[in-house]
Amino acid sequence: METFVQSLVSGVLTGALYAMIGIGLTIVFGVMRIINLAHGEMVMLGMFAAFWSQRLWGVDPFVSILAWAPAMFALGMILYRFLLRRIIPGGELNTLLYTAGLSLLVANLALFAWTGDYRTIALSYGLTPMRPFGIAVPPALAIGFVLAAAITGALWLFLGRTDMGRAIRATSQNREAAVLMGIDVERVAAVAFGLGTALAGAAGVLLAPSLYLYPTVGELLIVKCFVIVVLGGLGSVPGAIAGGILLGVVESLGAVYVSTTYKDGLGYVMFLLVLLYRPSGLFGVGKS
Amino acid sequence: MALLEVEGLTRFFGGLRAVGNLSFSVAEGEILGLIGPNGAGKTTVFNLVTGFVRPSQGSIRLDGRSVVGLKPHAVAHRGIARTFQIVKPFPGLSVRENVTLAAFLRHRARADAEAAATRVLERLGLAHRAPTLASQLTLMDQKRLEMAKALATEPRVLLLDEPMGGLNPSEVDAASEMVRGIRQGGVTVVLVEHVMKAIMRISDRVVVMNHGEKIADGPPAQVVQDAAVIAAYFGKRAA
Amino acid sequence: MSPRSAVAAWAAFAAAAVALPFATTNTFLLHVCILVFMWTVLGAAWNVLGGFAGQVSFGHAALFGIGAYTTIILFLKAGVAPWWGLWIGGVAAALFSVPVGLICFRLRGPYFSLATLAVAELAKLVALNWEWATNGPVGFLITTLPALRVLGHAVDWERKTPFYLLAALLMAVALASTAWLRRSRLGAYLVAIREDEDAAEAVGIDTARSKVLTLALSGFLAGVGGGFYAFYFRYVDPDAVLNIGLSMEMVFIAMVGGLGTVGGPLIGAVFLTTIAELVRERFQVGHLIFYGLFMMLVIRFLPEGIWGRARLLLAALRARMERHGAA
Repeated sequence: METFVQSLVSGVLTGALYAMIGIGLTIVFGVMRIINLAHGEMVMLGMFAAFWSQRLWGVDPFVSILAWAPAMFALGMILYRFLLRRIIPGGELNTLLYTAGLSLLVANLALFAWTGDYRTIALSYGLTPMRPFGIAVPPALAIGFVLAAAITGALWLFLGRTDMGRAIRATSQNREAAVLMGIDVERVAAVAFGLGTALAGAAGVLLAPSLYLYPTVGELLIVKCFVIVVLGGLGSVPGAIAGGILLGVVESLGAVYVSTTYKDGLGYVMFLLVLLYRPSGLFGVGKS
Repeated sequence: MALLEVEGLTRFFGGLRAVGNLSFSVAEGEILGLIGPNGAGKTTVFNLVTGFVRPSQGSIRLDGRSVVGLKPHAVAHRGIARTFQIVKPFPGLSVRENVTLAAFLRHRARADAEAAATRVLERLGLAHRAPTLASQLTLMDQKRLEMAKALATEPRVLLLDEPMGGLNPSEVDAASEMVRGIRQGGVTVVLVEHVMKAIMRISDRVVVMNHGEKIADGPPAQVVQDAAVIAAYFGKRAA
Repeated sequence: MSPRSAVAAWAAFAAAAVALPFATTNTFLLHVCILVFMWTVLGAAWNVLGGFAGQVSFGHAALFGIGAYTTIILFLKAGVAPWWGLWIGGVAAALFSVPVGLICFRLRGPYFSLATLAVAELAKLVALNWEWATNGPVGFLITTLPALRVLGHAVDWERKTPFYLLAALLMAVALASTAWLRRSRLGAYLVAIREDEDAAEAVGIDTARSKVLTLALSGFLAGVGGGFYAFYFRYVDPDAVLNIGLSMEMVFIAMVGGLGTVGGPLIGAVFLTTIAELVRERFQVGHLIFYGLFMMLVIRFLPEGIWGRARLLLAALRARMERHGAA
C-alpha cells in the first residue's frame, strides 16, 4: 500500500509538470490550430537555461524562472512574428513540417553547442527527501510542483479575468466571430504562441533539477506532450491538466507494477487507444 | 416495387431527433421533390441515404436491396449519387479531371473514363470549360459541374441538394431544364429545394418534411393546399 | 517536360549511372552514390504516401527497420541470401503497414501523423526489448556474405560495384513505381482524396482502400530500402534502423525534392547526401542542423520543392518559347 501511495504521489507531482507543457501546446493549438512539433525543444531550452544560469552564475533554478519565463515568452513571440506567421497560410501540412524542421534545427544546434552528455543540476537542499505523512518526496519535485501550481493558477486568472485572456479564449472557440467582434487575432496569436513557449520553458526550468538533461530530450517530451493533450482534448486547458496528471500517474504506477522498460510504451498505447476511440479526448472537449 | 424505398428512417444526434420514422418511396423515372422549412431534416435524409451518416433505425432499399451501413463510395457503386448543397468540387483540378474521376467508377481505363466524362460535359453544356480549374468557375457552372460529377457515376437515382440555391430566375429555369433532361436520360431524381417555382414545375410528386417527420405526400398542387404544410411554413393561423 | 524528352533524359541518366562504376576507381564517390540511390528509394517511399496521398507519416523508420531486420534475420537464421531477402523485407514491411494503416487512417490530418509517431516509437521499444526476436540493443551483424556467380564471374562483395548496381536497380524500381502511380487510376484517386475526401467518397472512390494500397506500396519501398541497408552495411540494431531521425530524413528528402513528383526524391537525396558529407568533413557532426534549416527554408521559399519548382520553371519556359515560335 505504501508503495502504491508513494508512486501515486510521485506520479501526480511529475504529472503536474508534464501538464504545464501540455497546457502550452494546447493553447497554441486552440488559437492557431497548429501543432508545434518544436514544443519539446522549448522545454529543453528552459532546462538548459536553468542549468547554465546555475553553473555559470550560481543562480538557483527556481529563482531563475523569474528571468527565463519572460525570456521564453519573448522568444515565442519572435518565433511567431518572424517565422511562423508567413508559413501558417500555407496549410496544416506545411506548418507541421516547418515546426518539425525547427525542432530538428534547435535540438541539433543545442547538441552541437552543448554535446550530448547527460547533465544534472545539483541542489544543496535537494538531497534529503522530505517526508510528509511518511511519503518520500524529493524537495526539487515538491518545489517544482508548488510553483507549477502557482503558475497554472495565475494562468487561469489571466485567461478568465483579463481582456487578453478572454480574447484568447474567444479566438480559440471561434476565430471568425472573434474577428467580427474586433479582436486583433494576429496579436492574440502572437501572445498565445509566446504564452505557450513561456509555459514550456518554465516547465523545463522546474523539471531541470529532477531529470537528466540532454539536448535531444525534446523528442521524448513531445510525444508525452501529445499524449497529454489528446487525452485531455486538443484545445482544452483543464483537459491538459487532467491529461498530464493522468499520464504521470500511469507512468509512475506502470514503472512499479508493470515494468520500467515498458512504461513509455504504456503511454503510447494509451495514446493510440484514445486517438482511435475518443479522439476528442477522455472528457470529450477536444476540437478537431 | 419502387426503385428507392425508405421505411421508418430515424436518426438521433445525441438528444436531437433529426429524422423521425420517415417513410417514402420513389418510383423509377420519377422526379420527387423533398421540401420543408429549414431544419426539417432534408439534408440529413440525403446523408442517410448516401451513407455519410448511419440511421439510428429504419431501412433504405435500392431495388429491394438494403444500402444501410454501406460507406458512401459503396452506395455510389450501387447506383445512388448525390450533389452537395454547398458545391464540393475538386478545386485544384480541371473540370475535365473532376468529371473523369467520377467516371472512373464505371470505366477503369483512363481513355474510356475521359471519353465518358466528355459525353457528360457535353450533355450539361460544360464542354467548353473542360480545361478550366474548378475553383475558377461561375456559380452556375459550378452547379453544372456538381451535377456532371454525380451523373458521371452513372447512377440509377440522383439526389440533388438545393441545386438552385443562389441562382437568378433565368438560371433557375436553365437548371430546371437540366433536371428534366436528366430524368429523360433515364435517371430517377430526388430534389431538395426551397425555390418553390422550380419544385412545382418539375416534380411529379412532393414529400413535405417538418421537424424530421413527413407531413404530406402527393402531387405538388395537392400538397401546396394541405393544411399541415401551410401551418409548417406560415404558422397555424395561416392554415 | 514532354513525355519523349523526359524518357530520353531518364535514359541518358540511366546509361551514365550504370557506366560510372566501370569508369572510376574512386570508392568514396561510389559509396556516396550508393547512399544517394538508397535515400532516393526511401524518399520515394515517403513521397508515395506523403506527396501523393497527402498523409504525413513520422513513423516511416518503422517500415525501414522491419525491412532491415527481416532481411538480416532471414540471412543469419535461415540462410536466405540478402539479395532475395531484401524483397521479402519489403513485403514484410508492406504487410505490417496494412493493419497499422487501417487503424491509423481512421484519423485525419495531424492526428494521423501523431499516431504514426507513436507506432514508430513502439516499434523501437519492441526491438529493444524483445531480445528473443531482435537481439535487443545488440542487434545483428553479418560477417560473411554468401558466394554468388553472375555471368560466369564470382561477385566480389568487398568492392562497391555490386552494391552500386543493386542500389541503382532498386532506385529504378522506386522511381518507376512512382511514375506508374502518378498516371494510374489510383494516383488520380489520391489527388481527389487530397482535394476533398468527402467529395471523393461521393463519386465512388473507396478512400480507405486507396490509402491502404498506397501505404502498402510505400511500405514495400521503405522495406526494400531497409533490406538493402542491412545488406550493404551488414549491421542492424534498433538505434540504427528505427530511430526517428530516419523518419525525418525521409520527410526531408521528399519535401526538399518536391512532393508528388517523380524526380523529386532523387534531387532531395542528392541534396541531403551532399550536405551530410560536407558537414562531416568540416564539423564531424551536426548535419541534422542543416536538414532542419533547409526544411524550413524550402517550406518558406520553395514549397513545391527544388524539383517541383524546376518543373514549373521549365513549363513556363516552354510556354514562352511556344508563344515566340508562333509569333
